Amino acid sequence: MTNHKTVRISKGKYGWGGPLELTPTKEKKYVISVTGGGIHPVAERIAKLSGAEVVDAFKNPVDKDETLVAVIDCGGTARCGTYPRLRIPTVNIKTMSPSGPLAKFMTEDIFVSGTTVNDIESVDGETAAEVTKSDETAERKEAETEQSEETVVTASEQTENSSANNGNGKKKGIMGLIDTVAKVAGNFINILYQAGRDTIDTIIKNIIPFMAFVAALIGIINYTGIGEILANVFVPLANNIGGLLILGVITALPFLSPLLAPGAVIGAIIGTLVGNEIANGNINMSIALPALFAINAQVGTDFIPVGLTLGEAKPETISVGAPAILFSRVITGPLAVVIAYFMSFLL
Amino acid sequence: MDFMITVADGFIGMFEAGAEVFMGYMTGIIPLLVTLITAVNALTKMIGEERINRFLQKITKYALLRYTLVPFIAVFFFTNPMCYTVGRFMPEKYKPAFYDSAVSFVHPITGLFPHANSAELFIWLGVATGYTAAGGSQSHLGLMFLLTGLLVILMRGLVTERISAYMFKKQGYENILDEK
Repeated sequence: MTNHKTVRISKGKYGWGGPLELTPTKEKKYVISVTGGGIHPVAERIAKLSGAEVVDAFKNPVDKDETLVAVIDCGGTARCGTYPRLRIPTVNIKTMSPSGPLAKFMTEDIFVSGTTVNDIESVDGETAAEVTKSDETAERKEAETEQSEETVVTASEQTENSSANNGNGKKKGIMGLIDTVAKVAGNFINILYQAGRDTIDTIIKNIIPFMAFVAALIGIINYTGIGEILANVFVPLANNIGGLLILGVITALPFLSPLLAPGAVIGAIIGTLVGNEIANGNINMSIALPALFAINAQVGTDFIPVGLTLGEAKPETISVGAPAILFSRVITGPLAVVIAYFMSFLL
Repeated sequence: MDFMITVADGFIGMFEAGAEVFMGYMTGIIPLLVTLITAVNALTKMIGEERINRFLQKITKYALLRYTLVPFIAVFFFTNPMCYTVGRFMPEKYKPAFYDSAVSFVHPITGLFPHANSAELFIWLGVATGYTAAGGSQSHLGLMFLLTGLLVILMRGLVTERISAYMFKKQGYENILDEK
């Protein structure tokens, strides 16, 4: 069992942190599974690829100095901070980003989350032995998708040489059922909890700052009377379909639109001004829908090369696509206002 | 002294007016956004990316869906800017038109589904808060914004598809046009 290899453990989809590269040594030779209900497949896979030993930490606690890596399934905030605080590399199979009282210990060099069996790979060069191993792994992966009790038994059999003392993982019968129900419920709650965390994050980072700036702007405009001046300039343009068409043409001009588009800031400011005048009764309510399109004919024109690259477009496609979209907007910008004008009769 | 007091009152008053607007946002809009975005975030995670990709791959070949349902699903589930990655499921010649269509939908969708482009909500919110203040129904306007948006992106996709086909041809990239 001196056949120690380096493994790379990456974050899963929606996960956070990592990747971790770990090599077992004589002192640090245990992968501990702190997941309840037996040894987790992720822990097994790490042990298998690295040549370390895997143990169930609930049954056989291992000294922290002997621990290579801890595999946990903590969707909360307590357990997942404990191991990072001890500077033990930690793999959380649940999807989460650092939070809770121990968040500051969960750094990218020591914490990775959302990891699945597929996110673990061997770093060492390909040898004949390893090819066989990956064949085996492929088979195991197939078996694992079934998630049956059998799988776990087979999996433990495969690693029995590396872990003599962890017993046969999975509980049977009614305890097993309770375990499964608890895991499904835990998973469900974890998804909701993480969704909430993401939401608050985006509200604090993206939405509230914009509200602060818009609120200050509206406050100043309304209080100082600048609003009335703006209204005098603006209302004739924005209060009838002809004016909106002109606005739609202006925002769609090929040389102007990429300058107006970034971050949708200019559209947002004009939109707020229009909204403000609708609220004050200077602009007719029925104009709201066409106005939404007239102020936004430039949308995304600054982002064309990036957007097309995200769609894996070839360089030739991008070189043709960018001018094609800009020219198309000259037609479709004002046309969108006309469509919206007719749709507004349904409001 | 009186003059300075007037100035000070005006100065503070200006920001009190702003504070009132801000408070309106915080109590009126934020709570709705919190619950709505959380629910949709959870839903997209439960459905999973692979399943959505598989579905999208099947329907991109129909022009009508390519510029309506495909951008809708892409923007709804992958949000701005990851929604443009869906372009990889179609031949090169449709990519500019698809991008044009998808990017034109990232604001119309925010009327009902603000999670899809939460960093750029104010294109919609700026007009919508005024509309509500004047006595209109925000959800009604949001629905119309979304439906009109679908019509507009279909029109925009078809127009851009024609224009880019013409330009591919003119610049001698016939190989791209022939690609299926």
